[in-house]
Amino acid sequence: MLSGTHLLVVLCLVSSLCAQDLEGIQIHRFATQGFLFTSNNNYLSMRSSQGSLQWTDGGVSLVDSLSDHLRVGIQLHMYQLGDLGGPNIQVDWASGDYRVNDHLGFRAGKVKTVTGLFNDSQDVDAVYLWTLLPQSMYPIDNKSFLLSHLGGEVYGDLRLGGRRGDMQYRAFAGQANLDSTGGYVKQLADLGLVFTNPPGGRTYGGDLRWVAPWNAFTMGSSARVQAVDGTAPAGRLHVPPVVITSHYVQFNHKKYYAAVEYRREPINPTIIIGQTVIHSPADQHVWYVMGSYDISKRLQLGSYYSHYINAAADSSLPNNYSKDWDLSGRWNFNDYFYAKLEGHFLHGTALGYYTSTNPGGLQPRSNMLAARIGFSF
Amino acid sequence: MRTLGKTRWLLLLLALAAHRAARAQDVIIVANPEMRVSVITPEDLRAIYTGARSQLPDGSHVLPVTLKGGPAHEVFLMNYVKETPDQFRTAWRKAVFTGQGAMPRAFESEAALLQFVASTPGALGYVSRVVPGDKVKPLSVLPPPH
Repeated sequence: MLSGTHLLVVLCLVSSLCAQDLEGIQIHRFATQGFLFTSNNNYLSMRSSQGSLQWTDGGVSLVDSLSDHLRVGIQLHMYQLGDLGGPNIQVDWASGDYRVNDHLGFRAGKVKTVTGLFNDSQDVDAVYLWTLLPQSMYPIDNKSFLLSHLGGEVYGDLRLGGRRGDMQYRAFAGQANLDSTGGYVKQLADLGLVFTNPPGGRTYGGDLRWVAPWNAFTMGSSARVQAVDGTAPAGRLHVPPVVITSHYVQFNHKKYYAAVEYRREPINPTIIIGQTVIHSPADQHVWYVMGSYDISKRLQLGSYYSHYINAAADSSLPNNYSKDWDLSGRWNFNDYFYAKLEGHFLHGTALGYYTSTNPGGLQPRSNMLAARIGFSF
Repeated sequence: MRTLGKTRWLLLLLALAAHRAARAQDVIIVANPEMRVSVITPEDLRAIYTGARSQLPDGSHVLPVTLKGGPAHEVFLMNYVKETPDQFRTAWRKAVFTGQGAMPRAFESEAALLQFVASTPGALGYVSRVVPGDKVKPLSVLPPPH
């Protein structure tokens, strides 16, 4: 079995240090190493209160344009985040893409799932200033489940004419399974439900966004329906179809960047362990606001506030909310190699904490330092 | 003596202005000679180079290519794509790593880019200058209709 370290070495050494184009086949790679230190609690299944380096990921993608209209590709990905992930290499996406024209295209296979601004690119660390995206909306411990689905999507770009900009649409349908080494499965295992096959279910949805003619401004909405069912030796999990809606605005002009996004996710899971039936309805209201500025070609600074509450429960209790102030910096050593440093002020314990790594309970507040280095070419 | 000094300053300012203007207008959009269109709008250029479109308004397929760096690359991106080279690279990385695109082919030199554009149907690029003998079709960039 290829370990994470081996994959990183392979990524670093295989061929030359630049993206390759072998007779039309493009090969691109990325790899990152992170560090997390928290003042209280262990975050994201890492022993972060002692300082943890157990945060590595890497990927390699191959893309081949077979004709003007047809492109095929695959991306292999490995991650280790505390107790999550592991040495297994996953297929991030693998699809065929047939673009009939600018208004209509099809992708089929394992395709990235569009939801909001960043869902389909949340694993591509190199494109963000942030070491951690707002965890209320893009939880890194569950990204593999949310990231892609088996099935297909239809997409296109519609010109509105004159200076009215473009409408871009994507609609998808398929099957999405929980990552057997991801956060949801670990939380269920902490409860006593250990799955031999990862639970999953049908998913469908879409995204519609308006892109202004000067490209700096984007606004749009996404909707995703997701059901999850699974059976374990000790019981089963049933999540009836959940409708996740997301609305967002993004501004990106010269050195300035700003975005705001709101999402609602009412969920009503049922967990059956032996004779015990647990209903845990939640009405999750999530939003964030972020902004950044390019100080120079090499240095970016930014900040965000991320907010999560479970409105179906007593949202004054720390385990029903999560509020996170973030201050971020990124330094680009060159076009391929970068470093990030980030401070977080976390209030609430609703997200990112696991019983198994916090056996003594949780403090309602924690400060966190996150750092990451990475390369992409 | 004083008049000469003023004239010198004026000449220097004019030279600087001319240099800046030359830099801003330094990029020529070039296409494969078989391309049917002779003009292109800045909106189309931006949409093509951001990957939003792969066709010209007449429906023909277009294959954008870039330079790997240099002044012409920066001027083109700033003037027509409205992005810095970093922003341009980041946007394409995002497309590549999410399975939504293949990065435009990039060339070390203008000569190599011109050679590729000349020999590849649908190819579109930019250079700082074109000389007689280059087998490419310069395109005019027109403002869009209001």
